[in-house]
Amino acid sequence: MIKKITYAFGALTLLFGLWGFYDRFVFGHQDANYGSYVVWGLWVAMYLFFAGIAAGGFMIASLDLLFDIPAFKGTGKIALWGSLVSLAAALLSIWLDLGHLERIWKVYLQGNPFSLLFQMVWGYTLFGLLALVALILQIRKPGSRALKIIMWIGLPLSLFISGAVGALLGVNASRPFWHIGLFPVQFPVFSLASGAAMMLVALGLFGPRDDPHRPQQLWTLSLMTVILLVVKLYFIWADYSQSMYGNVPMNVEAIRQVMFGQYWWAFWIAQLLIGSLIPIFFLSQPKFAKHNGWAGWMGLLVLIGYGFARGLIIFPALTVPELGALTSAFSGPHLSFDYFPSLMEWAVTSGTIGIAVLGFLIGSDVLKLFHQPTKEA
Amino acid sequence: MINEASLLDKYASEAFAGLVSPILDGVQISAAPASDLTKEDALVRMNAELKRALEKPASERHWVMVIDLRKCVGCNACTVACVAENKLPPGVVYRPVLTEEIGTYPRVTMKFLPKPCMQCDNPPCTPVCPVNATYKNEEGVVVVDYDQCIGCRACMAACPYASRTFDFGLTYTEQLPVFDGAIVGGATAAGYEHASKEYGEDWARNGIHESPVGNVRKCHFCLHRVKDGILPACTTTCIGRATYFGDRNDPDSLVNELIASPNVMRLKEELGTEPRVYYVV
Repeated sequence: MIKKITYAFGALTLLFGLWGFYDRFVFGHQDANYGSYVVWGLWVAMYLFFAGIAAGGFMIASLDLLFDIPAFKGTGKIALWGSLVSLAAALLSIWLDLGHLERIWKVYLQGNPFSLLFQMVWGYTLFGLLALVALILQIRKPGSRALKIIMWIGLPLSLFISGAVGALLGVNASRPFWHIGLFPVQFPVFSLASGAAMMLVALGLFGPRDDPHRPQQLWTLSLMTVILLVVKLYFIWADYSQSMYGNVPMNVEAIRQVMFGQYWWAFWIAQLLIGSLIPIFFLSQPKFAKHNGWAGWMGLLVLIGYGFARGLIIFPALTVPELGALTSAFSGPHLSFDYFPSLMEWAVTSGTIGIAVLGFLIGSDVLKLFHQPTKEA
Repeated sequence: MINEASLLDKYASEAFAGLVSPILDGVQISAAPASDLTKEDALVRMNAELKRALEKPASERHWVMVIDLRKCVGCNACTVACVAENKLPPGVVYRPVLTEEIGTYPRVTMKFLPKPCMQCDNPPCTPVCPVNATYKNEEGVVVVDYDQCIGCRACMAACPYASRTFDFGLTYTEQLPVFDGAIVGGATAAGYEHASKEYGEDWARNGIHESPVGNVRKCHFCLHRVKDGILPACTTTCIGRATYFGDRNDPDSLVNELIASPNVMRLKEELGTEPRVYYVV
C-alpha cells in the first residue's frame, strides 16, 4: 500500500515538475526568484541535500560491502542505489541552475583545477562511476575483491565530495556566515545522517517485513541518526553562539534572519522540531526504532529537516547586503535581498524529487534490491 | 591678453561677490583669484594621459579609478551612462550609486558612493571559477569571457562588493506596444539595446540562450573604449568631475596625484583584496 502511495506521489510531483522543466528550458532563469544578490536559491539547496544523501548512502553501504557487518548484510545494494539516485537528482538540480547548462563539458575539458567546483565535478563523476560499478559487482559478483577495492576508494571519496560542499561555501570570506573552518567538517556529518535517514525510510517503509535482521538494522540506524542529530544540534549551537558573541554585523544579521527573520519557521518548526527533536524522541526508544513504520516515517522527518537545513545554510548568508545601501542603490528585476522560491523553482524541485522517488522505487523493483537479503538470510 | 577662462573667472567671481555680500551684513567677499578655470580640465588631462599610456605595452599599464566623494552629488549620471554604453538589460548594473541619508531632521545630509567593480589585484572572484572564464587581464582589469562562462555564479557569491550581476535575458523594450508613426514598439526598439560592444566584440544578445544572457556581467572599466583612447563612460559623464581614470604606473598622472593625498581610502581593505578603485573622502 505504502509503495503504491509513494508511486503516486512520485508521479504527481514529476507531473508538476514537467511544467517547471518546460519553463526552465524555454524561458531560462527569468521566472526564478533568485537574482544578482541572492545568487543561489532553492535548486542549490536541493543540490546540497541530494548530494548529502548520495555521499551518506555510500558510507552506509560500506557497512555491508566493505566492513561486512552481519546486521547490515544485504543492505549494501539498497544504500548504493539510493546513493546513485540521489546523486542523479543532485546533479540535475545543480545543472538546471547553470546559466549555460550546455557548456558543462567545459568543466571537464577547459577547467580550472584550483576551483573547488571543478574538483567537485570531477569528484562526483568518479564517485558516480564507482558507485555504479560497485552496485553491478555486488549484483553479479557479491563480496568480490574488486568490489572491496572500489569501496575502499569510494569511501574517502564520499568524504571528499561531502566536505567539499562545505568548503565551496566556506572559502567565501565575503560571507562571514559561511566563512568558518567548521563548515567542511559539518557536511560529512550531515551527509552520514542523511544517508542513515534515507536507509531508515528505505528499509522501514519499503523493506520486507519478515527480514530477521530488520529490527537490529533499524535500531542501529536509529541510534546512528540520533547521535548525528545531536552532533548537528551541537554544531548549530557552536556556530551560532560563537558568531553572536563575535558580533560581526553581517554574520549576526544572517543568524538573526535564520532565527527571527523571514526564515524563522523553517528553523524552529521544520529543522528543529520536525527534523530533529521529534525524530530524536522516537528513534531513541527501541520500541519505536525497531518498528518498520515508525522508523521509516521518522527517517522521512529527518530528511525533511535536512532539506530545510540546507536552505537555511544557503539563503540567509546571501540575504544580507555586502554594503548596507545596496538595497536601494539600483532597482530592477532580480535585484532584491529578499528571497522565497518562485512557483517555477518549486516545480523544478518537485520534478527532481519525483524523478528521485520514482527512480528509487522502479530501480529497487527491477533490481530486486529488497528480495535478496531474505533469501541470503 | 585676456583669455576666455580668465575673463569668466574675473567677472563671474565679481558678480557672485556682489550678489552675496549684501545679504551677509557687510561681510566682504572678494573675487577668487584666477585659478580653477584657468587650469586644464581634468578630462583633457586624463585624455592626454590615456593616449600616453596606450603607447606602452599593455602589461606596463595599471588602470585605476579614483572617485572624489566630496564632489559626487549623487546624480546617477555615471550609472545611466554605463547602462547606455554597455546596453545593460533590466537587473544588470555595473556602477550603482549607493545613497545614504545621514543625521536626523533638520540636520540631514546625503552621502553618495558610486561603486564600480573594484578590479581587485587579489580578486576572490577569479580562483573560484571552474572554467577560467573570469580572470585578470594583462592590464589588471578583471574580465569575463562570455563564451566561456557557464553561469554558475560562484564568482558572484565570492565577490565582497556585489560587483557582479547576472543577465536573466530580460529587455526594456520587449513589451513595448506598437503604434505606427508614433511608437516604434519592441520589435524595432529592441535593436537599440542589443548592440553592446563590450570587450571589443558585438554582442547581439539574441534570445535567452545566447551570451551574454545566462552569463555573469560586471564593470570592465570600458576596455572597449579605453583601447581606442576614450575614457570610460562613467568618467566622461560625471557632471562634477568626481571620477578619475588613469595609469597608476605613470608617475605624472592625475590619478597618482590624487592617490598620494592622505584622505584616500579603499572599500573593505581589511579583506586583502587590494582594490584598484580609490575614494577621496
